[in-house]
Amino acid sequence: MQQLLNGLFIGSIYALFAVGFALVFGILDRLNLAHPAVFAASAFIGIELVTVGGLPFWAALPAVAVVGALLGLIVERVAFRPLKGRADAHFAGLISSIAVAGMLIALLQWRYGAETRRFPADTFPATRFDVLGAQVTLLQVVIVAVCVTLVVGLTWLVARSRLGRGMRAVAENPTAARVLGVDVDRVTATTFAISAALGAVAGALFAMNVNSAQLGMGSAIELKGLAVIVVGGMGSLPGALVGGLLLGVAEVFAVQYLGSAWRDLIAFALLFGILLLRPQGLFGGRRARQV
Amino acid sequence: MTQPALEVEHLSVRYGRVEAVRDVSFSVAEGSLVTLVGANGAGKSTIINAVSGIVRPHGGRVRFRGTDITRTPAHKLVARGLVQVPEGRQILATLTVAENLAMGGWHRGRAAARAIDEMYQRFGVLGERRDLPAGTLSGGEQQMLAIARALVAEPVLLLLDEPSMGLAPLVVNEVFDVVAQIREAGTTVVLVEQNARRALRAADHGYVLRTGEVVRSGPAAELLADDDVVQAYLGTA
Repeated sequence: MQQLLNGLFIGSIYALFAVGFALVFGILDRLNLAHPAVFAASAFIGIELVTVGGLPFWAALPAVAVVGALLGLIVERVAFRPLKGRADAHFAGLISSIAVAGMLIALLQWRYGAETRRFPADTFPATRFDVLGAQVTLLQVVIVAVCVTLVVGLTWLVARSRLGRGMRAVAENPTAARVLGVDVDRVTATTFAISAALGAVAGALFAMNVNSAQLGMGSAIELKGLAVIVVGGMGSLPGALVGGLLLGVAEVFAVQYLGSAWRDLIAFALLFGILLLRPQGLFGGRRARQV
Repeated sequence: MTQPALEVEHLSVRYGRVEAVRDVSFSVAEGSLVTLVGANGAGKSTIINAVSGIVRPHGGRVRFRGTDITRTPAHKLVARGLVQVPEGRQILATLTVAENLAMGGWHRGRAAARAIDEMYQRFGVLGERRDLPAGTLSGGEQQMLAIARALVAEPVLLLLDEPSMGLAPLVVNEVFDVVAQIREAGTTVVLVEQNARRALRAADHGYVLRTGEVVRSGPAAELLADDDVVQAYLGTA
């Protein structure tokens, strides 16, 4: 039970990270590989907001989301928009987003140095609960609550809101969307901002959960995020949520029963196993590659 | 004399080195129905796309109700009432019929709800299928949806690009009936068609295009009665 809960806690962060990835992928058919750098940057910025800015954690989290959204707008404007008319825009955007990620990480190193940073010990109350014999911290409960709320909120936004309708229209047929009066550039930029805000919150929560932020933390989660969106069904938001939780649980159980060296092997083997049974991913199917 | 709804002056459009439209000029009087006819590749759709801001012209000028809109992006033109029903319908297949209609009212906010209800009344089949993905509709129903979606935007000027393309003859009749109703309601219409005779019968004024240029123009009835035009440009169909 303890391990299952631990897996769900870390998995919900993976899910939040992957949902951001999947949102841009589903709408624009673009892989934004600067997403992991935004994840890392937001962890450092969150720590600075708490340590230097003196913000409580509950206020730092929305601030991190805003900073993340701004970074998302910059990534879209610098790495993707100039290339959108090219025949090889997918590949070119992927490469340029890697370049932007490199620049972001370099800026982080310049500002924060290469050392591990941490939230102050008193950032979050160390309250613990007993749930069915397992120990759960208040932080873990908050992490799951924030992640699930954001993912459910995003799913509602895409399915029900005017903006979500615009996103889906752009996803299916950008030219038709323009003919209908949609400012495609604006919807695209907004999508990047929302995606990056989610990645940013995931970054801050991750750093809080493991109590450390490192320059390489984005690279470590990048492959997991990609695996989660493939397993969930390319671009599917519910798929990214379930995929993230599955990966988290698989990792924790692998570490518990086989040792930490087996963590990635077991987790990714499980994901490959799912793909063998269901190549389109858990929620891929007919609606693959849509929001 | 009242100001034309649309004035196109010396319009040229290039795709790379290919000049798809060369020095085309025409005007559309407020409340009239003007048709651009010509064979496939004559440049009709390119002109429509240049007017609606989808394609950027290489040269020339486009005015909508006296305002220069040559470089105005498409989304701003829709808000001003210049609305296009694109070639091939371009309905959003994975969105429901209701969502497609809501997309037509993108700029109108809650005011679009009444217009959408009117469309359900007017096109009964859309009301019956409002919760189905638009991709499940037949070709004719999709065309009606594309037109209804444009009407939700409350167009002042409606650009219709090949609305009869790929449809059965009976459905083509329905489409032309709807076009006539739109015009009777006071909306200015520019109709692009390969079905030239049918379009000219519906129109006040016609322009015949060939390889990107206007080769003949005049009142639609005169073009239809002109044997030279019929034989050279409209075929024998």
